[in-house]
Amino acid sequence: MVELRDVHMQFEEKKVLEGVSLDVQPQERLVIMGQSGSGKSTILRLILGILRADSGSIFFKQFEINRLNRRKLQQVRQHIGMVYQYSALLSSLTVRENVALPLEELTDKSRNELDKIVDEKLDLVGMKDAKDLLPDELSGGMRKRVALARGLVLEPELILLDEPSAGLDPVIASVVDELIISLTEKSKVTSITVTHEMESAFRIATRMAMLYEGKIIEEGEAKEFKQSKNPVVAQFLSGSTEGPILEGSLDAITKK
Amino acid sequence: MPNAEARRTMPGPLEVVEIERSFLRELGSIFWFIANTFQETMERVQQGRAPFRAASFFRESVRAGVDSVPLVGLVCFFLGLTMALLTGYQLQRFGTERLIPGLVAIAFTRELGPLLTGIMVAARIGAAFTAELGTMQVNEEVEAIEAMGIGPLRFLAAPRMLALFLLTPCLSTVSNLAAVFASSLVCKAYFSIAFPYFLDLVKDSLLIRDIITGILKSFMFGLLIASIACYRGLTVKGGAAGVGTNTTSSVVTAITTVIGFDTVYNVIYTNFYPT
Repeated sequence: MVELRDVHMQFEEKKVLEGVSLDVQPQERLVIMGQSGSGKSTILRLILGILRADSGSIFFKQFEINRLNRRKLQQVRQHIGMVYQYSALLSSLTVRENVALPLEELTDKSRNELDKIVDEKLDLVGMKDAKDLLPDELSGGMRKRVALARGLVLEPELILLDEPSAGLDPVIASVVDELIISLTEKSKVTSITVTHEMESAFRIATRMAMLYEGKIIEEGEAKEFKQSKNPVVAQFLSGSTEGPILEGSLDAITKK
Repeated sequence: MPNAEARRTMPGPLEVVEIERSFLRELGSIFWFIANTFQETMERVQQGRAPFRAASFFRESVRAGVDSVPLVGLVCFFLGLTMALLTGYQLQRFGTERLIPGLVAIAFTRELGPLLTGIMVAARIGAAFTAELGTMQVNEEVEAIEAMGIGPLRFLAAPRMLALFLLTPCLSTVSNLAAVFASSLVCKAYFSIAFPYFLDLVKDSLLIRDIITGILKSFMFGLLIASIACYRGLTVKGGAAGVGTNTTSSVVTAITTVIGFDTVYNVIYTNFYPT
């Protein structure tokens, strides 16, 4: 479904990805873990073609994303849903209008069909009663659910989730995670989630990958990850301050 | 020491080259922006679909056009009043106060109306467009639109650009009428020129060409202001501070561009049509 081959990406002087290779199979829920600023969200933006890789190839099905022209890229994006960390709902539109936007702009559906689909998607995420509210009137968890409904409204084959449970209380975070699992299973959608929230990651994932210093250092099922001998993975999962992740920088912090 | 300080702050030859380069880069980017917005919009039209929501266009038209009428009308009314009064007293010394109606009408229709409208629109609407799109950019709303497969240029910039392109000439006309009306009041009150005679004098001196040149200029001013404002808004970086910086820069660039374009237009126009 998605394949990244030796992808390199650099922002000015900072190298973010240094040869990332990744293969995502249909209908799996891949979770990419890594530290903040390690380039997890960059991978999602590269798959969407919003950023262009310095080198390497990114495939979505048979399409090589970085070789597509604008028009083709827009068509391919219609098969990919994206849920942003801060939801990115259009603040001037109501919940209903936000969810209906891709349908109105990209399909020829009639008003009735459109309303039916929007109601159905909002019902799936439990937000049908809030359809006339503006994003500002919603809590963080509610916004995430609306963003999820918007991401799924075009029935995409792939959904990308950027920190879906970040900033939510543990109960709402579990609700959002369960929603992701049930919706992806029901709609047979492949998902790629990036997160550094361990509980959420283990709940969602059918497969996991760890991004560290611009490379995927470990890939496997959740069980294998828990038993990993890799010191970086072990430290990341335990949240310990001792280990290779903070080497050097921890000394600087403790000296202060 | 003052000399040393002056030397430090004065741009050297290399800095001047860099300023010129960045100016040309900006100019190129804005033209690229206009061309891309046009291309994206036309692609959509070719697919037989509306390039943007009609509601969005009308909302921007009301905001940019209708809501600007009081400001543009009032400012130009006062300026017309002042201009008629000050020039009137000078002309009266030579017994030529009957030139006031023509002078105000030609000055506003050809030059001051479009120019002042452009400056006011840049300050009032250009700033609003940049701040609004900049905030959307910072909140990842623009990226979300792009990620859905919707062209952000045609969806966000095109309705704003079209609204200003069409509404600036209308505002310019409002400013001309306000100034001419104000000068008619001054003529009546201070120089004993009755309203019907005032209208005859305006009609005698004003040519269709004066009106057309002012209107053409206004179309271009509207397009330039909207393009600069949308471009600056969609290229905001660095959060709230970035929105502030780009909004200031948008207003400054738009006003400078409007005045610069006006000068170039006048130079070219007077070379081809000297009278």
